[in-house]
Amino acid sequence: MDFMYYGDILVVDLEAGTTEEVEIDEAWEAGPVLPAALELFDKHAQDDPLIFGSGILTGTTAPASCLGFALGASPITGGPAVAPLNLFAGAEMKLSGFSMVLIKGNSPGPVYLWLHDGVADLVDASRITGKDTWQTCDAVRDEMGEQLIQVISIGPVGEAKSDLASFSINYWGSGDNAALGALMGAKNLKAVALRGLGMIDAEDPEEFYNRTMGLLPGLPSEKSFDWAFEGLGEGGLDAWLGPLVHRYRSCFACPCACNTFVKYNEDPAVMGSDGVQEPGLMVTNPAAALWLGQGGWSPEGASRAMEAMARAGVDVVRGSREISAEPLEAPGEIAAAVEALTGPAEAAWPPGEGPAEGGIFGPWTPPSSSGDRWLEVNRAAYVLGVCPLFLAASGVEREDLLELCVPAAGIKLDAGGIKEMFDRARA
Amino acid sequence: MRVKVKPLECTGCALCELACGYHRDEAFSMISSSVMLYRAEEKKGYMGVIVKTAEDLFIGKPEGAAAMKLGELQKEGASGGASAKPILVREACDMCESAGLEPQCVAICPQKALYLE
Repeated sequence: MDFMYYGDILVVDLEAGTTEEVEIDEAWEAGPVLPAALELFDKHAQDDPLIFGSGILTGTTAPASCLGFALGASPITGGPAVAPLNLFAGAEMKLSGFSMVLIKGNSPGPVYLWLHDGVADLVDASRITGKDTWQTCDAVRDEMGEQLIQVISIGPVGEAKSDLASFSINYWGSGDNAALGALMGAKNLKAVALRGLGMIDAEDPEEFYNRTMGLLPGLPSEKSFDWAFEGLGEGGLDAWLGPLVHRYRSCFACPCACNTFVKYNEDPAVMGSDGVQEPGLMVTNPAAALWLGQGGWSPEGASRAMEAMARAGVDVVRGSREISAEPLEAPGEIAAAVEALTGPAEAAWPPGEGPAEGGIFGPWTPPSSSGDRWLEVNRAAYVLGVCPLFLAASGVEREDLLELCVPAAGIKLDAGGIKEMFDRARA
Repeated sequence: MRVKVKPLECTGCALCELACGYHRDEAFSMISSSVMLYRAEEKKGYMGVIVKTAEDLFIGKPEGAAAMKLGELQKEGASGGASAKPILVREACDMCESAGLEPQCVAICPQKALYLE
């Protein structure tokens, strides 16, 4: 694929401490991006691979083209599982200059992988071992002198290889419901840091750009969660969080803003930046908020619990489910409850929200459709690099997005073809 | 007529940066854009939008929006953002006149946070 990507596949051998770039053509035989990653996963199964990548449209003006992926063997399911790289991490993954990153083996000492402008470095992470994800994000950004670096990191829970571990993206809970954070811990991989100032070329840039501009006027531009989710009765999740809401945030290139920044250490109405250093949390996991809200938690208690989980590197969704039945208010009690989750907790994939056929895609967001529909949406979303939630809930025509792949990269895709790619890759 | 910002309407999607970058480079990148999302204080939920013109920066801070002359900013030693390529060293907004288009950052903004006045 000459367009929409540049550079080669990066192979990182953690045991040897080496990085090597290999040509991409062979890897694309199974299809673009995630299907290719699944084939690489099988090919390198003996090395317990962890693979990062992005979709065809990731990082462009295509609506909601924020999505990248992490793929590895889930300690929960035992099979390959995908976690989304959303917010700005998916786009930064592509802009960092690598089409895909295959991480093999385990490092003898703690390291983090620093990908920037086509350069890959393994950096000693001794100094940040044991730090939570907020401290890790700050440390990496300070060390590299760039506050816009996207940091996929694990906290102490990931280092302990707990089944409840999840990687965080910068400071916030991710959609890693498959305990890929524990896989990072097993690899002694504290973080993957991303920054890229590159350019993504389309095969027919003018046609591509004009088509994406033509799509936008018909799409929703909702702020908050409730446009996509039902739950918590009258007023939904937004009314429940309402007293704490500071602002709404989008992921990269998304017309909708379903991340909610809440403040509970400062008046949410304070707009300046000269107040407290850590005023609150960006709620990125509506499923977690639903578990806690339905369990009778107050929005402040729930937000503090979600912060504690994101910091520790606990899967915010599964962790919230674990503690939802006993609402807490006092920060000390909440911290203790989250701390108690940090052991090797039993953490089955939530019943009724389990992985769809093949076990690849997790319950990142509350289920809003059947398992088959969710599977179909996810397949298309990861190939395209478009948020699955947006694809499922926005009313965007999937065919319109699939057709963008022609001016983008000269690739003709349809839903049937995408299913075949996954079937072939899994065969 | 110039591009202005309603900072509290902005949700930080960066489509404005991408559209401007496309206008500059015919590729998708944010390094050349004359409009820049200020997102360096992520942990505080603090975010704004900066537009560079030939004479000034229009700075859309959440606590208020205002234009500041480039000379004043340079005297203060401001970098105009935390990016590896600060906005002060980028090209000024040409309102997309060279492409014969309406300002693309305004056209693409899903929240109407950028507007012309």
